[in-house]
Amino acid sequence: MSSPAKNKDKRATSPWISIKNDLIAYAFMAPYLFLFVVFLLLPAIVGVYASFTKWGIIGQPKWVGLKNYNKLINSDIFIESLQNTLYFVVLAAIPLIVLGLLLALLVNQKLRGRNIARAIVFLPHVVSVAAVGIIFQWILERSSGLLNYYLGLLGVNPPINWLGDPDSAMPAIAITTIWWTVNGNMIIYLAGLQDIPEDLYEAAKIDGAGRWQELRYVTIPMLMPVNAFVIPLTVIACWRVFGQVFVMTRGGPQGSTFTVAQFIYETAFVNFNMGLASAAGVILMLITLSFTVIQLRAMKVI
Amino acid sequence: MSDSWRKESVYRDGSLNYGRLALYAIMIFVAIVWGAPFIWMFVTSIKPDTEVFSYPPTWWPDEPTLEFYTRLFDSFPMLLWFRNSLIVATITTALTLATNILAAYPLARMRFRGRKIVLLIILSTFLLPGEILLVPLFLGMIKFKLANTYFSIAVPAAANAFGVFLMTQFFLTIPVELEEAGRLDGCSRFGLLWRIFIPLSKPVIATVAIFTFVRSWNDFFWPLIISNTDATRTVPVGLAVFVGRGLSMRFGVIMASAAAATIPAVIFFLLLQRYFVRGISTTGLQG
Repeated sequence: MSSPAKNKDKRATSPWISIKNDLIAYAFMAPYLFLFVVFLLLPAIVGVYASFTKWGIIGQPKWVGLKNYNKLINSDIFIESLQNTLYFVVLAAIPLIVLGLLLALLVNQKLRGRNIARAIVFLPHVVSVAAVGIIFQWILERSSGLLNYYLGLLGVNPPINWLGDPDSAMPAIAITTIWWTVNGNMIIYLAGLQDIPEDLYEAAKIDGAGRWQELRYVTIPMLMPVNAFVIPLTVIACWRVFGQVFVMTRGGPQGSTFTVAQFIYETAFVNFNMGLASAAGVILMLITLSFTVIQLRAMKVI
Repeated sequence: MSDSWRKESVYRDGSLNYGRLALYAIMIFVAIVWGAPFIWMFVTSIKPDTEVFSYPPTWWPDEPTLEFYTRLFDSFPMLLWFRNSLIVATITTALTLATNILAAYPLARMRFRGRKIVLLIILSTFLLPGEILLVPLFLGMIKFKLANTYFSIAVPAAANAFGVFLMTQFFLTIPVELEEAGRLDGCSRFGLLWRIFIPLSKPVIATVAIFTFVRSWNDFFWPLIISNTDATRTVPVGLAVFVGRGLSMRFGVIMASAAAATIPAVIFFLLLQRYFVRGISTTGLQG
């Protein structure tokens, strides 16, 4: 955040006036802070606490120490859900970042109709995951689906059983996710591109840089601050994948798309094992946090 | 005009520029890949039953019909789900705007003890995966007998910090002189906010409002677990749990449901496009 307000309150010399000033500030913030504490901060703390307890849908929580974590580490289903989610992160996050940048570079060119292209790519942003999931179930359908028809024209035979085959189900979910959410990264990169001062390109041109050298030595380095938040946010969002899986496969076939969020959903809201689900939530949080820290370290942001 | 035309054209110095031609080809390909699923959804939804599975796929039905829509609205309480979504999104948006504007003012413009800590705590929740909140929120709502109410679906979403962040950033850019002038005229803090900051912040307020509304309209995980009656169920949950579930041979009706849910959102987007772009590019948050 930038510097605090510059209009130093000159009257705030006496401690009483300064206390009054504090009170006014907190009075303004009170409604939001109430929502924030009750529906965000407190639940986060209780969520961590719950992970050390046995807690059903009714009754009191019972402290069990690290038992839930122990159970998770020894649970094949949970470990598999971690592996599946990691696989999804690799499949989806990298294209979301790279393609997001490429699309931004494309619509940043002086091309006729680029605003229309940008709007079309952005359109899925306003569609709910439920609608996206069912549209892609139909497009990815094995025998009458659109994708297999056109792949067939390109010589892909026999048709791929996208959502029915354990090998192709996660890639299918990743394709859906990329179509649905790459637009966010595109818009962020586009804003980043438009913030790069024109003089840098002029200077590069004077030094005899070609298009690729411009990209390599001006555009990419200047986008580093943008990367510093695009990459963590994309990776966190991928670790949390839920809706697409819930709508399209419910974790199947043969558990091949069963993700951590799916595990949390079933453990907490189907089997009502709140303590175990909370422990899985804490592990998910630790994974995303440590990834963010490592990545920002590597980029020398922190 | 003539200059921009030269820059955009595939001809340069009278001969074809292959680089630009390739860029246009890629752009058209991109537009088709991202546009086709929408068209395909709509076309399927207006096909007669016999044509849905026709092979090769047809991009326009011989006899367009709204039969699937009739069946959809006859078999599922779509209108009720729509009403619920509208109520929930309106509550979340109104609550978010009212509380965020108030909170952003002192964060941007007042010096008070704890300012940095409050900001740090609020911003750090950007990195918090929401899954950790679901169990406590769910148990809390059950305990206070609030499950299956609009309150339980709509209010937790208003705790999101993105609007506070966005508005604080915007308030920081408003010239101090305007505030000083207002103060000399005897305006209270609230008066300054109401008469100076809010009128000057209409664009950012609109951005937060639209973003919050769409986020709430499309929210899935939380409404899925906290509402299990049609009286409060929202559109995405209704689609996922009922219309789309295990009905693999009824793609016509399913696509009609997806189209019914999507078309209002698309119109909404086309009308308000620039606010979405601004919201994402200033915060990096995507709803």
